[in-house]
Amino acid sequence: MKRFAVLQLSGCAGCEVALLNAEAWVAQYRLVYMPLVVSAEDVPEVDVLLISGGVRTDEDLYKLRRAVKKAQQVVAVGTCAISGGVANLGDRDDVRALFLAEKDRPHVPRLLPKSHPADAFVTVDLYVPGCPPTSELFMAVLTNPHDFQASKVVCQECGRQKLKDVKPAHLLGFQQGEVLPDVCLINQGYLCVGSSTRGGCRAPCPRAGHPCVGCRGPSDVFIEKESAAWFTSIKRVFATMTNVPEDEIERGLRSPQLALFLFQFSDYADNRTVGGGYHPRPKEKVL
Amino acid sequence: MTTLTFPLSRIEGHARVIIEARGGIVQSAKFQATEFRGFEYLVRGAPAEQMPVLVPRICGVCSTAHHVASVKALEDAYGVTPPPLALTIRELLMLGQLLQNQATSLFIFTMPDRLGVDSLFDVDTTELDGDALAGVAARALQVRQAGTHLITLAGGQFIHPVKAVVGGVTGGIGAAAASAMRAELAEALPVACALFDTYWDYSVALSARLGTWGDDAPACYLTAVCGERPNYYGDFIRLMGCESGDVCAQFPAREYRAFLTVEEAEYSYAAQTSYQGHVLRANSLARANLVDSLGTPCANEYLQRFHREFGQPAHAILLFDLARGIELVYAIERAMEILADPLEGAETRIPYTPRDGEGYGLVEAPRGPLIHHYRIENGLIAQAEFVIPTVHNILAIERALRVAAERYITPERVNLELERAVGRVVRAFDPCIACATH
Repeated sequence: MKRFAVLQLSGCAGCEVALLNAEAWVAQYRLVYMPLVVSAEDVPEVDVLLISGGVRTDEDLYKLRRAVKKAQQVVAVGTCAISGGVANLGDRDDVRALFLAEKDRPHVPRLLPKSHPADAFVTVDLYVPGCPPTSELFMAVLTNPHDFQASKVVCQECGRQKLKDVKPAHLLGFQQGEVLPDVCLINQGYLCVGSSTRGGCRAPCPRAGHPCVGCRGPSDVFIEKESAAWFTSIKRVFATMTNVPEDEIERGLRSPQLALFLFQFSDYADNRTVGGGYHPRPKEKVL
Repeated sequence: MTTLTFPLSRIEGHARVIIEARGGIVQSAKFQATEFRGFEYLVRGAPAEQMPVLVPRICGVCSTAHHVASVKALEDAYGVTPPPLALTIRELLMLGQLLQNQATSLFIFTMPDRLGVDSLFDVDTTELDGDALAGVAARALQVRQAGTHLITLAGGQFIHPVKAVVGGVTGGIGAAAASAMRAELAEALPVACALFDTYWDYSVALSARLGTWGDDAPACYLTAVCGERPNYYGDFIRLMGCESGDVCAQFPAREYRAFLTVEEAEYSYAAQTSYQGHVLRANSLARANLVDSLGTPCANEYLQRFHREFGQPAHAILLFDLARGIELVYAIERAMEILADPLEGAETRIPYTPRDGEGYGLVEAPRGPLIHHYRIENGLIAQAEFVIPTVHNILAIERALRVAAERYITPERVNLELERAVGRVVRAFDPCIACATH
């Protein structure tokens, strides 16, 4: 039986919980290390190492560098391990200065000046974005990632109908208005970015009536391009489907409301390792 | 000085226990949370209405509780009251969270301690006696899955849900989906009860072997549910007094500072709460002590048995684990009741006008009362505060660790049982470190 381990760095454990929901691996794999569910002192030799969470403390970095030596294949799962995730919101200079000063603790692992993705320090063989990746994606990683079938973008997986003659004049906030079932959220004036977000999640959020916030990152079309490309693409979608003024879209896209995921899109194409090396994330390596 | 360091596993997040002894006399027992991301800082400047999407990322285990607390905090600030159907669907969401969490804690985190294995996934490959444990991992995951499916149904996604919005929820639940969910829960109920019975028996055997149920000195108890037929959606916080065992205070979330003292600790990224110098306890045992009747048949029977065998209030820490099993059964039964009623057709959300000001949102999360407090200026978050249930338990964890350390450290030697005891003590409180440090 193949062996796998999950190295949890600084994150929310959502990825691990999603993995637990993909229980079919129990028959095919032996989980030898994942502190959330297994008591084991250290990462042993494994076929697959999943890394979740961002590198936030010096201890995270130490554990990461030790663990990858034991693995045949290294997989970064979830937004935090791939592009920094939610902890990256703390990387605005003002915020960082504040909390690094207030959270100076002499007896616990030191916080690094900023949060880093795993591949800033080690080589990653496969990336599985999502916050968290769905159970189906986890199963694909552990079985045969190359056979995983998905649409290019979330939009194609959502199942809501696009209406040609319904054109909203203004954007609604995520929390506003009565959501009509079965009708495209953009038609209803929501700032949904499913049109350029990577497919494969099966669109649970738009199906439930909430706009896509882009947690799976850019689709293959945009993943190796800089942020201007997906930005322009989303604006073009709204220009075609709505009468919302361009500057309102622009403001919406640049507002912090989408900062959590959308601003990390640019990080995919221009990923620099600590120390200056350049490591683009080719689409072939992203599930 | 002898310093013993115990890394922790089968809990959420990164933490360790440090015990110091001199000449076999325990000097201190500390619980250190070793991770930190800075949510209270990084949400500053975010549009207030985005909080229900941002804050679930505090914790993937407790994301539902944060999602709902966040929406309630905004509704408090905006002066909005959601329609009844929306409240029912949110209660369902909280029950899904309770079911999922208690199943995880009971079976995946603490069952291995009763069976003497490192992981539940090891059980079927080890030599253990017969039928009660056959396929235990698969059955535990089946029960847990019912909880995640319930969250998905009521919340859109089972981790980081999206369906609760200011003024209500994004939509109702169709009859076919509700009925399928009900059938899945009906199937899970006997499986959960059988697993819990086994768990109860193994817990009794464990305490007999150890000669203790752990730290059983009185403590104050804190919960947002109480009395008959509790609703984990949360309304007021109740405090059960240390001496009397009576409810000595009841207060809304916005008055928590008048009752609870929250202090930072220099040796940990997690703060600690106390009440007038007393050790506080939240989580399942607090609820078992303050709730008289759950109102659903099987769960109520377990609760009555619990009160009969251990008293009300009960104080020994390994009883937290048993109380969790009662709630697991309750969550299944109560969700089945709700799903039998129509959950669509009525209004699910009402319009609102955002405004600046302050808001407090309270829910009874699986680990205890969770408060979100936001100050909103120009539509943006000027200040956010997360009052986390695990933080209320930190001093209680440390007290119980000390009790265990004193039991197993003697001038002659450190009993090897100490390592297992540390794990059991911490897991009894089911701490969540991602939440506690946020």
